[in-house]
Amino acid sequence: MAVHDDCKLRFLELKAKRTHRFIVFRIEEKQKQVIVEKVGEPDQNYEDFTASLPPNECRYAVYDFDYVTAENCQKSRIFFIAWSPDTARVRSKMIYASSKDRFKREMDGIQVELQATDPTEMDLDVIKSRLSK
Amino acid sequence: MYGGDEVSAIVVDLGFHTCKAGYAGEDAPKAVFPSEVGSIDQMEVDDTDKSDKNSGSALDSKSKGKRKLYVGSQDMGFRRDHMEVLSPIKDGIVVDWDMVENIWDHALSSYKLNIIYLTCYGAISVPPPNIKLKILLTGRKCLLIDPKEHPMLLAEPCFNTQLQREKSAEIMFEKYQVPALFLAKNAVLTSFASGRATSLVVDSGGGSTTVAPVHDGYVLQKAVATSPVGGEFLTDCLLKSLEHKGLPIKPRYAFKRKEIRPGEFQVVDLDFPNTTESYKLYSQRVIVGDIKECVCRVPDTPYDETSYSNIPMTPYELPDGQTIEIGADRFKIPDVLFNPSLVQTIPGMENSLETLSFVRGLPQMVIESINKCDVDIRRELFSSILLAGGTASMQQLKERLEKDLLEETPQAARVKVLASGNATERRFRVPLVYYNCNRFRLMLETNLSVNTAFGSVGAYWHLLVPSSKCGSPSLSEFSCLSPHALLLQIYIYSRFINLYAVVMTGMKSMELLISNANAPNMLSCSTY
Repeated sequence: MAVHDDCKLRFLELKAKRTHRFIVFRIEEKQKQVIVEKVGEPDQNYEDFTASLPPNECRYAVYDFDYVTAENCQKSRIFFIAWSPDTARVRSKMIYASSKDRFKREMDGIQVELQATDPTEMDLDVIKSRLSK
Repeated sequence: MYGGDEVSAIVVDLGFHTCKAGYAGEDAPKAVFPSEVGSIDQMEVDDTDKSDKNSGSALDSKSKGKRKLYVGSQDMGFRRDHMEVLSPIKDGIVVDWDMVENIWDHALSSYKLNIIYLTCYGAISVPPPNIKLKILLTGRKCLLIDPKEHPMLLAEPCFNTQLQREKSAEIMFEKYQVPALFLAKNAVLTSFASGRATSLVVDSGGGSTTVAPVHDGYVLQKAVATSPVGGEFLTDCLLKSLEHKGLPIKPRYAFKRKEIRPGEFQVVDLDFPNTTESYKLYSQRVIVGDIKECVCRVPDTPYDETSYSNIPMTPYELPDGQTIEIGADRFKIPDVLFNPSLVQTIPGMENSLETLSFVRGLPQMVIESINKCDVDIRRELFSSILLAGGTASMQQLKERLEKDLLEETPQAARVKVLASGNATERRFRVPLVYYNCNRFRLMLETNLSVNTAFGSVGAYWHLLVPSSKCGSPSLSEFSCLSPHALLLQIYIYSRFINLYAVVMTGMKSMELLISNANAPNMLSCSTY
């Protein structure tokens, strides 16, 4: 599985320039490569992000989560989310799960990783509970 | 769905109870048939042999080739005199390769066209052509493929030994001459099928129950927990329990059912004195297995005799038309999974688990297995427990396991038990989609390059990815290299030399380590 250069570029922009809030990636099965499906503007929030994940298909996604710590300090964490809902086709679940490792290696700078099969596994509470790590 | 250029791989999962085979990329296996094999000794059958139906040692002493084996649901469904039912697998490990070959034959079968010319002699009113050409496709019963044309994926149990893998590779390459072979741990396949690279796979199959943590696509070998309580064991419990209640299960071959008037049947008992005990047991298990699947349900709370003594009975109609009622057993039998000590209360099964003290219930196995893993991943494992295997598709099992785990897990762990929404999918624990995933693809490509580089030498090669981070002996030989997912180990076997080739795909370079001193001096290959 190849990773399109665009993926790396966008991710670098998210990480360094912070010009995106989130990026949603998709595997293009015919070309056998990962491509960028959607990019989120910096002013978009977590709801916009979850809404951009299709309910019946697998995706990879990166989200830049801003928060304020107890010491009142502005911080951010980059989340990697492997989204594979139960209702997705087994075939695509297999492809996404087995290509994840390779893809993640291209994304240098991911701080927290989540795998989610339904929205409750990646709601804000879960995200927040993973921040402390 | 598939493009024309793709040769689809064949996936074979030889379980304890059933063998599943099919094409990669499809949702369900094409061929599903019992893993047990009927065997008739071609020599004089002596009766003392019959008692050894389950012991693997008895198999070895028998001269192979002197027996005729029957494989497949149809062949097994037909009663034959002196036919013993034997299982090639014992404790999850193959003990009789001869049978396995027969099973694989049945599943895949090579192109063997036996052309038989039959001469017809008169006696038929319509004059036939005097030579009739009849083509018998021997063995081509299931997938009807030529194994030479398809890459092969074999699912193997988590605790498979190196020896077992070598033997399967040997048969696959030498007998079936498959172009490429991959042995994958079934827990990993289950995990990938649900879209997770990290999960705890609870695989409750026919012969045993295995709990295996999978992390980033690798089985954490040291934390794998197994117990002998599987579907077959529960079936036996139910059978014994029914017999004790005076409800003997009549095997299907032992009676004939005739319709004397419309809607009215008469059962005629038949007597076959030459039927073996093991065949009788096999036929009974088929029926009781179905009873179990139809009526049994995991109780919501641990089973106890008093509170379940007056629950309503559930009817089940046996093949001979007799209807039996099953009461508390409906709940008691499945609860053995959660509380194995319950077998002591089932008449006839008291001593079936000699090592009862080592056998734990499902929730304990899960917790024990997770506690053996690294602290950092425990949380993730707790929140992605995957159910797989036939027994795990029992009604209410998911809910009960979740509940029991919630009670016993420490503090803040989020427990989540996942099961495939589709019961069929769950039964065939290994969905047949693996071929397209990266690693296997990569291997096939690598494979070709090796082939060109050693066109003259590489008579047979085995492709094996070290599928465990710990415990894989082959990996330790290359401990200098990072034990990373992309390190592929290719065993190149030929009659004269044994050389290991290590392909670091990331660096696109190949290093050859010659393991055999007699090997000709062949070193680094730059063509890759």
